[in-house]
Amino acid sequence: MTAPKKRRNPLPAIAQAGPVSVWMVLFVTVPMLFIIYISFMSRGTFGGVEYTPTLTSYETLADVTYFAVILKSLQVAVVTTAVCLLLGYPFAYYIARKSADVASRLIMLLMIPLWTNSLMRLNAWMLLFQTNGPVNKALLALGIVQSPVKFIYTDALVLLGLITNFLPFAVLPMYSSIEKLQKAMLEASADLGATPATTFRKVTLPLTFPGIFSAIILTFIPALGTYTITDMLGGGKVLYIGNIIKNQFGTIRNWPLGAALSVLLLLITALLIFLYSRFAKIEDMEVL
Amino acid sequence: MKKALSLILVLVMALTLVACGGQSATTPSGGEEAGSKELNIFMWSDYMSDDLVANFEQEYGIKVNLSYMNDNADSITKLTAGAGDGYDLIMTCDAYMESLINGGYLEQLDLSQIPNAKNINKAYWSEQNQGYCVPYLMNYIYVVYDTERCPIEITCYNDLIRPEMKGQIGSVDGARNLFPIALIALGYDPNSREESEIAEAYEWLVKYNENVVAYGSTETNMVNGTISCMFTYDGNTAEAMAQLGADNTLTVAPFTADPVQLGFDLYVIPKGAQHMDAAYLFLNYICDAQVMADNLVENPYSCPNDAAVAAASEEYRNGPAFDFDYKTNVFFQEDVGDAITIYDKYYQMLKVG
Repeated sequence: MTAPKKRRNPLPAIAQAGPVSVWMVLFVTVPMLFIIYISFMSRGTFGGVEYTPTLTSYETLADVTYFAVILKSLQVAVVTTAVCLLLGYPFAYYIARKSADVASRLIMLLMIPLWTNSLMRLNAWMLLFQTNGPVNKALLALGIVQSPVKFIYTDALVLLGLITNFLPFAVLPMYSSIEKLQKAMLEASADLGATPATTFRKVTLPLTFPGIFSAIILTFIPALGTYTITDMLGGGKVLYIGNIIKNQFGTIRNWPLGAALSVLLLLITALLIFLYSRFAKIEDMEVL
Repeated sequence: MKKALSLILVLVMALTLVACGGQSATTPSGGEEAGSKELNIFMWSDYMSDDLVANFEQEYGIKVNLSYMNDNADSITKLTAGAGDGYDLIMTCDAYMESLINGGYLEQLDLSQIPNAKNINKAYWSEQNQGYCVPYLMNYIYVVYDTERCPIEITCYNDLIRPEMKGQIGSVDGARNLFPIALIALGYDPNSREESEIAEAYEWLVKYNENVVAYGSTETNMVNGTISCMFTYDGNTAEAMAQLGADNTLTVAPFTADPVQLGFDLYVIPKGAQHMDAAYLFLNYICDAQVMADNLVENPYSCPNDAAVAAASEEYRNGPAFDFDYKTNVFFQEDVGDAITIYDKYYQMLKVG
């Protein structure tokens, strides 16, 4: 084959990026734009959407009760993320310093819970912790408590559920960041007289920051939007922003308000990514 | 060569997309003249025995496609969006009938095509609804408590907000299930459209909410000892009592004056349904006394079909979940029209806390 004059051939680009682009535009961009659009519309009496523009949904959001829920959700998401980082970072560090063989096994152990559906895991928790469940029976038999402890449907169990669920997502990106850390850097730091603490603060932490930030994003955002965990372990009494969004599209049938709340979540997410881009390059972000 | 390959690749992908799109678009079809060969039903899951469906399919040679709703709102959303293209029968409840009829979302029924409908007790089938729906099963929403574990005897809704009941109650959820009991406790119409009354009911429910451990899963929570009192459906109570078996110490609260809610799940034919003939056959089939009596074995709910109840097992008829003497002291969930947004507002406040 002789190569004539180079002509831009669009086919390879279409074949490679086309399907994904079409997919993303159809199933991500268009629905997202639609959500933004209906957040500015009115609710129908029967639910559904009436296409008359209004700012009612956003005015409702400014109401103090919603503000309280948003604040409560942010608080829980922050605590979940913080605990996941505090527990996850040392563990990620530990795995990264092991031989590849051991590391892959440890990662595997971390991933095993994710092989089952999260609803199954939550149901197992409910069975374990329910008033007549094995945990209470064991505590009673050992004489640690006199009457069954009410574990389920408490804020503490919801928090525990969130942390357990998101811990693997925090460990993995931090692990891949720490693993890339070159030993020579740490040695150089030590040679130049830095104490281990200084080395950690000045070298390790900044270099693994992309991993930490990915961990924050991968735990904080889902923790902020989750509703199954809070619904099941909280007994439908403790409501967070995710539950409220779900209710708007379900029992309460106020789609525009649900859409406005979703837009708010989108904005919080965008803000986080923006903050990250101020501190580091997006390309460095460790997303599995 | 490369060019040809990528061209083929693009074509294959395009074809796959077209194929995917085409399949879903052709689902609702069927020959009208020769009698429909399929029937598309939208309803609650776990609410009709598989045998009933299989027997119907065999008897009439009609394939029944069932899809399920998660919430009453789902069927309303479908009906108001024009569900006739996709569904032939949709389950909804009595509370929405007025608006659905007025909105013109339903096909008017020709009752002469449903001769078995004579089995249904007219007390449960209001005149204005008769032309548009066929009642399937019904639910009492009442209070049940454990005589051994519940701190007090419950004889009225106000007992539920007493401080002794803190952390004892499991409850069904939903604005139109919760607000009526508060309105009754306060001496108002359970279907009130007055904002001031609904606001007062909200204050009552705040106290109720403090005593509630969890919404939903009432029978599970009762059986495993998490709650000692539940505001729930009779069918769920029957399940809890059956699970407890010989250890059952649950009793339906002996209410003296307060009425309890009676709700109906009913079938409607959405406007423009494609398989009306099959829908009629099915409606007539489920109104048959023996067919419904068999269905009650798996779905032990209260039933408006008197002939079916008479033909049902002794176990069903004497079930402790249905053993209470105020069966006629009931109220119905009425369509409250635009006031539903007031309910939703206060319900939201209750939930947000």
